[in-house]
Amino acid sequence: MPTLQHVCQVIYDSHIGTAIRESDYAFSIIESVHVLAITLLVGTIAVLDLRMLGLILRGISVTRISKTVFPFTWTGFAIMFVSGCLLFWAEAAKNYSNPAFRVKLVLLALVGLNPLIFHTTIYRRVHEWEVLQYSPWRARAAALASLLLWSGVIVAGRAIAYF
Amino acid sequence: MLRVWFVSLAHSHLGQYMQTSKWGFAIVETVHLLALAILGGAVLIVDLRLMGVILKKESMRQINRDLSRLLLGSLIVMIASGVAMVSEEALKCYYSPAFRWKMALLATAVLFYFTFHRRAVLRQSEDRRFTDGIVATISISLWLGVGIAGRAIGLL
Repeated sequence: MPTLQHVCQVIYDSHIGTAIRESDYAFSIIESVHVLAITLLVGTIAVLDLRMLGLILRGISVTRISKTVFPFTWTGFAIMFVSGCLLFWAEAAKNYSNPAFRVKLVLLALVGLNPLIFHTTIYRRVHEWEVLQYSPWRARAAALASLLLWSGVIVAGRAIAYF
Repeated sequence: MLRVWFVSLAHSHLGQYMQTSKWGFAIVETVHLLALAILGGAVLIVDLRLMGVILKKESMRQINRDLSRLLLGSLIVMIASGVAMVSEEALKCYYSPAFRWKMALLATAVLFYFTFHRRAVLRQSEDRRFTDGIVATISISLWLGVGIAGRAIGLL
């Protein structure tokens, strides 16, 4: 058995993993939190993305919106990460061979890379364009990528149950 | 009387399609989920502003003008996808306590949105009141309730 698969099997068989998986309520509650926190993470970042695309709140500067939104986005991310890890803990062995799960991880990596690139390049000069109704094309590209990638993560996440 | 509507829905073209399609339900449910993300974001920003927690210097009306469009647009998508999902298992939904709770909360949330919430939002620019925080809290709670009840449908 490949090492990674073995590791997943060990996690799956662990006491906590098994407890979550076999519990009447634990898995359902953790999964519900994971699904509903999507609104906190993706819902708020979507507002920023739509602003940069010039579709909403054009009268408010980009930096004002990002400063407003980021605490909630990061809180949402923390909740998603913790609940996601717990779900993985319970399902690790099954997730290993699940194509939807693998796609989701790849998309998550990309959705993390996108803002990294964004913040180290075009966003460095945000004060030059923060009040513009439509942000520069590089910012709009990052915003569109963000919306598409997050949608992909959600679709892939839902698809996990079908494989 | 209400039960007849659910039976009709199950027998409708939409119902027949959803019941026989292999991917129909999965696709519709995914659309429902994507719209949920947008709806949640819009509700959160508007109500946090109404509470006076965020964007305090910005006009409530300006924020609401754009975000209410987002909210209603995503809500329409959620209702359409919701109807499609119900048509796949109409009577099961009809008899499900979680589904009934969800519909009751949804009706309340929408009603509240177009009455007390709307009044508070439109009045905010001239006249901020203590009750605005309460209105915002009720709004968030109702929408959250719809979401939780929705999750419960699949689990109970």
